[in-house]
Amino acid sequence: MAGRVLRALLSQALGALGVVLVLASLVFLALRLLPGDPAALILGEQAPASARAELRSRLGFDQPLLVQYGRFVVGLIRLDLGQSLARPGRTAFGEVWGALGPTAALAGLAVALGAAGGVGAALLGVGPWLGAARRWVVRAVLVVAATPLLALAPLATYLLALRWRLVPLPGDPDGGFTGLVFASVLLGLPLGAQVARIARAALLEVTHAKFLEVAVAKGGGPWRVWVLHALPVASAPIVVVVATQLGALLGGAIVLERLFERPGLGSLMLGAYAARDIPVMEASVVASGLLFVVAQSLSAALQAAVDPRGGAA
Amino acid sequence: MSARRGERRALLAVVPVVVLALVTGGWALGSARSPTRITLELSWQAPSWARPLGSAEAGVDLLALLTHGTARALALAATVAAFGFVLGTPLGAAAGLRRGRVLAVTLRLCDLVQAFPSFLLALAVLSAVTAPSRAHLAGVFCLTSWAPFTRLAAAQARTLASAQFVEAARALGLRPWQVLARHVVPNLLGPVAIQAGGVAAGVVLGETALGFVGLGPSDGVSLGAVLEQGVAGMLRAPHVLAFGALAVAAASGSLQLASEGLRRWMLRAPAG
Repeated sequence: MAGRVLRALLSQALGALGVVLVLASLVFLALRLLPGDPAALILGEQAPASARAELRSRLGFDQPLLVQYGRFVVGLIRLDLGQSLARPGRTAFGEVWGALGPTAALAGLAVALGAAGGVGAALLGVGPWLGAARRWVVRAVLVVAATPLLALAPLATYLLALRWRLVPLPGDPDGGFTGLVFASVLLGLPLGAQVARIARAALLEVTHAKFLEVAVAKGGGPWRVWVLHALPVASAPIVVVVATQLGALLGGAIVLERLFERPGLGSLMLGAYAARDIPVMEASVVASGLLFVVAQSLSAALQAAVDPRGGAA
Repeated sequence: MSARRGERRALLAVVPVVVLALVTGGWALGSARSPTRITLELSWQAPSWARPLGSAEAGVDLLALLTHGTARALALAATVAAFGFVLGTPLGAAAGLRRGRVLAVTLRLCDLVQAFPSFLLALAVLSAVTAPSRAHLAGVFCLTSWAPFTRLAAAQARTLASAQFVEAARALGLRPWQVLARHVVPNLLGPVAIQAGGVAAGVVLGETALGFVGLGPSDGVSLGAVLEQGVAGMLRAPHVLAFGALAVAAASGSLQLASEGLRRWMLRAPAG
């Protein structure tokens, strides 16, 4: 039994590492297949040939592709892909490390808010608290689920930040915590709507289960019946939804960082792309992939923990 | 009788996206308004009779920009969805018919591709070009668009594999690929094709997101570019942001609606 669990964990970890390696190789190849001289792209066409040759040898671009790849993989393992080109004196992974915190805070808070809000909406949509008005909760969830974050976020920013001055303006350095919460709420909204839909379906499925009738017969109030008895059954599908939405969440985080001019992995990546800062680009893409894979593995483990019945595994 | 009417009502959900595609496509082809012509003195102008939606950055006609952007986004989405359908359906059908390890590996791969942040993949692949074109974007989206079709085709083929007519075909001595091509694939095309709406909506949003962060098509005619301008010009010209957001919501929403309606229609229609 323990051996099986260990084997499953090992294969999960190997799979995760494989995904990161494939992504890393993809970005490596893409940056080397770039037509033209990368040094000219970075330094500009007017740069003297000697400076360009110096940069090429510093980046290792004058070596055969296989040698470059070997050095790249070793660099990945040692977490050392060289120095940033745009900001000399800083290592690529140092830049990534600094950007990781803000993005993790944004995504983590969004997951927490989205999950809590989604479960709350699902409970309100199923339970007896709102009476007939609970239909409107269901409809509101549908509307939110159908609204793309890309259309919603800029409009909400315009109304709340510019018109009504309720939240700090994008890029406001004094925005601090309120800005973070506002961005997280926006990022968590689509997630919350998905969670609400799935959680409501899962709750409706157990509505007529015997154990709920027993709970009611024992004199349990709606709170006790729904939250204590019904919700745990719905927890596994909720974790699954969050796991499947993680990729979209990361994409949303990049868009929101751009919108709010927040520092983070997304801003770092886009900046490095624009400046052709190859080491930072490689490091940030690999780090984002790693972040995604780790979060996904965590949610798989959590899924196994909350639902011991076990699925296909 | 009421089931019939329900069927027809479900099919009505396709109307918005068809209308949107025809109107924007026809307009983009037929109108003389250019989505790229710069008229500096008209920059950020509010809507007027001459320009019903006003002007965007550098005095570009917003109506032309939005219609061209929407039409191109829909065309891109249709291309990518068609590619995914053509590639993913036989793949999934074959895996579903084989079952066992092949099926497990295929489904695992689909899981991975569908959950993976498409944004990250796009960024990694697009770093090979200095200025992405629409063909590059299509290539990036095609890398992952087969997965939803494959997953559904595999599930359908798995149930079809034990159907009597498939067993009969096998018993008659048909080769596996003949069974696949003649008896399995034709019978799962309908349910699988419905995925196209969802995939297309994802492509529209993906293209918009990439355009918004500056990785869009280099000609600057995309919904994402409009949103980006709208955010930049939020103070001077809120109409750009409002119309841009509306267009994005309309394009992706109408595709989702169509896919939902077709699914309902498929469920109600008599099996066979």
